[in-house]
Amino acid sequence: MAIVERPLALPEGDLPEIENPLGAFSRPHKETGIKDWLTTVDHKKIGIMYGTASIFFMMIGGVAALLIRIQLATPDSNFLSADAYNQLYTMHGTVMIFLVVMPIGAAFANYLLPLQVGARDVAFPRINAFSFWCFFLGGLMLNTSWFLGGGPDGGWFNYAPNNGVAYSPSNGIDFWNVGLLITGIASLSGAINLITTVLNMRAPGMDLMKMPIFVWMTLVTQFLLLFAIPIITTAQVLLLMDRLFGANFFNVEQGADPLLWQHLFWIFGHPEVYLMILPAFGIVSEVIPAFARKPIFGYPFMVFSGVAIGFMGFGVWAHHMFVPGMGPLSVSAFAVATMFIAVPTGVKILNWVATLWGGKLILNTAMLFSIGLITQFTVGGLSGVSHALAPSDTQQTDTYYIVAHFHYVLFGGALFGFMAGFYFWWPKAFGYILNEAWGKWNFWVMVVGFNLTFGPMHILGLQGMPRRIHTYDAAMGFNLWNLVATIGSMILAVGVLLFVVNALVSLRDWKNAGRPNPGPDPWDARTIEWSIQSPAPEHNFDYDPQIVSVDDWWYQKYAEDETGRLRKVAHGADIAQPGNGEGVHLPAPSYWPILLAASLPLLGYGLIFSLWLTIPGGFLLVVSMFGWALEPADDLDLAHDHDDHDDHDDHDDQDDHESIVETASAEDTALVGDAPSPGDTA
Amino acid sequence: MSVSLTPTTSLTPTTKIRKGRNFVRRLPLGPTGALASLALLVSACAEDKPLNTFEPRGPKAQGIYDLMTPIWIIMIVVFVVVVGGTLVLTVIGRVKPEDYDENDLPKQVHGHTVAELAWTIAPAILLAGVSFPMVSAIWDLERDNKPGELDVMVIGQQWYWEYRYDVDGDGFFEDVDGDGELYGIEGDGDQDDKEWPLNLALDDDDLSVPNQLVIPAGQQVDLTLTSRDVVHSFWIPRLNGKRDTVPGRLTFWSIDADKPGEYNGACGEFCGLSHARMRMSVVALPEAEFDQWLKNQMSLSEVPEEPAQGQDPSPERAGYEVFASQCARCHVVNNSDSALQELYPKDFEADLLSGAAPDLTKFATRSVFAGAIFSQYSGIDPDDDNLDVTNYLQLAGTERLNEALLTRWIKNAPEEKAMYPEGRRGMPAFPGLSDTDVENLVAYLATLD
Amino acid sequence: MTTATAGVSVADSHDGNEAHRTSLNLSNMKVAMWLFLASECLLFGALISTYLLSKARFLTELLAGNPIVEASIDNPGLVREMQETGSVEPLFDIPFTSFSSFVLLMSSLAMVLAHKAVSEADYKNTRIWLATTALLGSIFIAGQIYEFTAFKEEGLSFTGSLLGSAFYTLTGFHGVHVSIGILMLLTLLVLSFKGKLNQDRAETVELVGLYWHFVDIVWVLIFTIVYLIP
Repeated sequence: MAIVERPLALPEGDLPEIENPLGAFSRPHKETGIKDWLTTVDHKKIGIMYGTASIFFMMIGGVAALLIRIQLATPDSNFLSADAYNQLYTMHGTVMIFLVVMPIGAAFANYLLPLQVGARDVAFPRINAFSFWCFFLGGLMLNTSWFLGGGPDGGWFNYAPNNGVAYSPSNGIDFWNVGLLITGIASLSGAINLITTVLNMRAPGMDLMKMPIFVWMTLVTQFLLLFAIPIITTAQVLLLMDRLFGANFFNVEQGADPLLWQHLFWIFGHPEVYLMILPAFGIVSEVIPAFARKPIFGYPFMVFSGVAIGFMGFGVWAHHMFVPGMGPLSVSAFAVATMFIAVPTGVKILNWVATLWGGKLILNTAMLFSIGLITQFTVGGLSGVSHALAPSDTQQTDTYYIVAHFHYVLFGGALFGFMAGFYFWWPKAFGYILNEAWGKWNFWVMVVGFNLTFGPMHILGLQGMPRRIHTYDAAMGFNLWNLVATIGSMILAVGVLLFVVNALVSLRDWKNAGRPNPGPDPWDARTIEWSIQSPAPEHNFDYDPQIVSVDDWWYQKYAEDETGRLRKVAHGADIAQPGNGEGVHLPAPSYWPILLAASLPLLGYGLIFSLWLTIPGGFLLVVSMFGWALEPADDLDLAHDHDDHDDHDDHDDQDDHESIVETASAEDTALVGDAPSPGDTA
Repeated sequence: MSVSLTPTTSLTPTTKIRKGRNFVRRLPLGPTGALASLALLVSACAEDKPLNTFEPRGPKAQGIYDLMTPIWIIMIVVFVVVVGGTLVLTVIGRVKPEDYDENDLPKQVHGHTVAELAWTIAPAILLAGVSFPMVSAIWDLERDNKPGELDVMVIGQQWYWEYRYDVDGDGFFEDVDGDGELYGIEGDGDQDDKEWPLNLALDDDDLSVPNQLVIPAGQQVDLTLTSRDVVHSFWIPRLNGKRDTVPGRLTFWSIDADKPGEYNGACGEFCGLSHARMRMSVVALPEAEFDQWLKNQMSLSEVPEEPAQGQDPSPERAGYEVFASQCARCHVVNNSDSALQELYPKDFEADLLSGAAPDLTKFATRSVFAGAIFSQYSGIDPDDDNLDVTNYLQLAGTERLNEALLTRWIKNAPEEKAMYPEGRRGMPAFPGLSDTDVENLVAYLATLD
Repeated sequence: MTTATAGVSVADSHDGNEAHRTSLNLSNMKVAMWLFLASECLLFGALISTYLLSKARFLTELLAGNPIVEASIDNPGLVREMQETGSVEPLFDIPFTSFSSFVLLMSSLAMVLAHKAVSEADYKNTRIWLATTALLGSIFIAGQIYEFTAFKEEGLSFTGSLLGSAFYTLTGFHGVHVSIGILMLLTLLVLSFKGKLNQDRAETVELVGLYWHFVDIVWVLIFTIVYLIP
């Protein structure tokens, strides 16, 4: 733990002047307003920015979805041209997957991981900021394609050779390529950062098997990213070489095999599916025990089933390729493997149900959304089994049945889980509780809208409606359910908007009520992020929490009485950390992450439009890397192991002085430091 | 630090929970309703759903249907148990906010290893049980090629299908280099037998038909599939599942219709701009009629006679001349029509970007055109499956040609169906053709029976 | 992961000169580097697979006499040789590449010595071995540039053929990795001359070394798979 083990006193005398690392900027100091957000390296602010940016992109993806639904509401509709439709459905999928569901998972991971493992920040705060800006700017760049010659039109899966210049001559797919390469950098650096945080920065006593399930699921998610992102990066580099530099990787004339793209894409794409849902699994695994008021049923099974899903997720990619003719042997093998991935998923669902069993359930909005996830994900899981059966998949793949399936998994599953997370952790992040009445409207309108939109798509798919068609003929018999789905999508849109309304209404009410503090632990919850004040103080923990068991915070509040019954022995508000962070050293904000991230889209525009444009991008890249490297990294940052030592270095330079602003106030009285460390003797 | 709420009251203000009570009482019936209605609705309204996967009309599709029937039942049972159980537990376990007591905790169960092992192992056994019939079905669906079965090569391209019949039974491709080995594959269609490069030059004795696949009813038809440009997927839901056509590769599949009739399909893999407008029509005929059809297809259409000296040409002849000067750049009529062939030799290799337009030989014998999205004859909806196939061989004689639609199509095809003529993918508009030209052209096309 | 429990230390008696307590008793940077390299394995795995598949498809077409693929190599003699041997071996100059591979392997040795030197506070030798590593790496890169030029002249171009695209992309990606490694080594060298690379920072050298060894091992794989296995 980087936080407290080093009781540094304030250095004697005056602090040396901090010089400008590059002479260009003075390092940003504690700021407020926009500059603070642009330069922050605080994992909580970055988490909030991830969430906000995701909701912004969700509006774009949502408008695309509504336009698609309007087009399909009636047969032979001319509302959208075929070209516009193809761009819209491509961008709807791409935006919702890469810029909404994945980053909302990242938002929760960023905000909660350090809090749940008892760390002061992630392992590399500046890299964390860099990850966010890469994601956000990469996503923005992708969306500028709307205005620069048209969006990508090859689908989010972008199969070769339809993604080649010959078949998609506009620059849309280049934007898709470059934009997602940049968000890929974000995912990769984020994964390294978060895995390091979980593995290396846990609070004293927190073994791997005492980590909250959300931490476990996020850990699995980040490992999936770590191993899946390089594969899609490879595929995108090959495509980029083909499209922009005339290579032949997908040039069938030269003997290339279009299935190479499909294999690379799905080796990434299937783990991708699990890394979108696992964070939501983690969230409901926290919410359900909190409001059932009993521990999660079968903690080890929950953990190992998550890990098993992660491993198996890499072995089933070819179930997306049952119809391109891989041969019956491969098809059989992948079909059987795919069916068995239903086992760990089923374990999770049944363990949640068992957690509900006999619980005293508090049905607030977070809990309702969690139950929504269980029921709707079950539908998605079952329909998944029906096309894990390869023969049946030959009838169902690329029909609306699949569209229904993955929306039940990703919307009814992942997004409902995220909504539960929003309602649950909102007071921790923002210091006010979301309104329950609005919340229940939000939930019920979403449930009705969601099932009305995607339920009928099961029927449409089984009646033979192919996916990705911009129109259909009246005689095909798809009219009724398409109309119902369109009406449902409007209701669903209202439901999603109700969440935004709720956030604003609750904020207004809270302000009008004189900003009452919800207290550190408004839900009487279980994990240690509730042992600090709300909103979480900037320094997270005043001192290292000492972890004794799973749900450590709960067992600080509840203990067995003489009859063996669990009784409340302490109120959360009384034993919570007071939030006194005076003198705690925090990583300083920095300009370089956003500047370095901004150089990448510039380079991307250069690749697409004119190599001359890469010059400013390259210049910014070099300057930012140089500036980053020269900037004092702070002892919580990547120079964790370097700059500290410089404190005692004869060749000390200005880099190091800034990192000394630290006092011993917390540490002197902290619980830490009493027990000898096994590591010290080594 | 201002912690104003005690933990007891901090479970959100009570009044707000009360407001929400009536919502809580309502169960999330959405998912239940959706799936329960599924089975009913799919089959109930099946009559006018030409692509319905629940309406098998051939042994292959029937095999898939039979495999799935028990699975649907298992799925619905699991759904009812899990989702119903969840909802029941939710209702039973609910604590009213006013009854909430923080010391009245439920029994703190941390898990139950036996139960958990049970619900790990039981589904695994169930799935293992399912996988036996599944694997067997996978192998059943693979084409087993028997001698005497009709071999058809299915070639996808943006945005129509071309069907090639191995009429002489010697495989698909001509022996281009004369060494006695055929490029491409022999009729038995084993992937290992294929030789590259895939040569799409047509064997002289074989037959190419666009848009409409005519097959004999009651017997298996072996398909060999490939694509000229991007990945497409061949799918006739009532006859079999889908199989992709991959450029540079051959894939294999088969279809089999129990009874004569028309069976519709739609391209199953996104293939660019007009993916929605790339459809299939399969017409299954009784065997005798099929033989008659094949014989007719292999014969030549007559070239309209040149007018006698000093006379105006007949509309058909005038149309033929328009065809020769305009359409023959991409389209072929009568593969052996030497005059046209010398002008514009048919050369599929020349352009991998779908430059090859549909072969219009025997154009008037088919009921559909333009990627099987339009009907050539008034009163027949190509997306419906109500084509009266007993009349199929006499279409040109009995039905009225859809002249208005053909005229619109010839004048400005991209208006009727999204295409990229500028990239040589699809038919361009012909603003230069006069109304008379188009009229004559349609008259000529009507003679191609 | 088994070290996790042992790694959870609660003591802070050590002074700032010792490594901070971490759950794994490894520095964050080292954990991160290992994770990064694990991810890189997948990247090179995908690139090598792409090369193998592309080469196989190229050869199949070439041996079948596909005229387009035959014309994609701008050297009829080479094409004939490839068709006769049934492999792409005639393209390669194995002795030359073996030499440059040997140079790169030796650089790993130099890297080890550099780390040893800095751990022992032997700053002079640190500089010598860092410089040697960078130099050997540069020789390898020079060899690669020469090789690319020679192949281009032999008729294998990046845009011309599937083989060319796959070959240049795979080896080029590796070359870029080596070049980044050289830049890191030079940075260390500059730091060392400025006196900032002392014993306490031995781990920085170790991390660069990890990266360098990884890049070397990848080359051993590429050399074996691309050049040696017919």
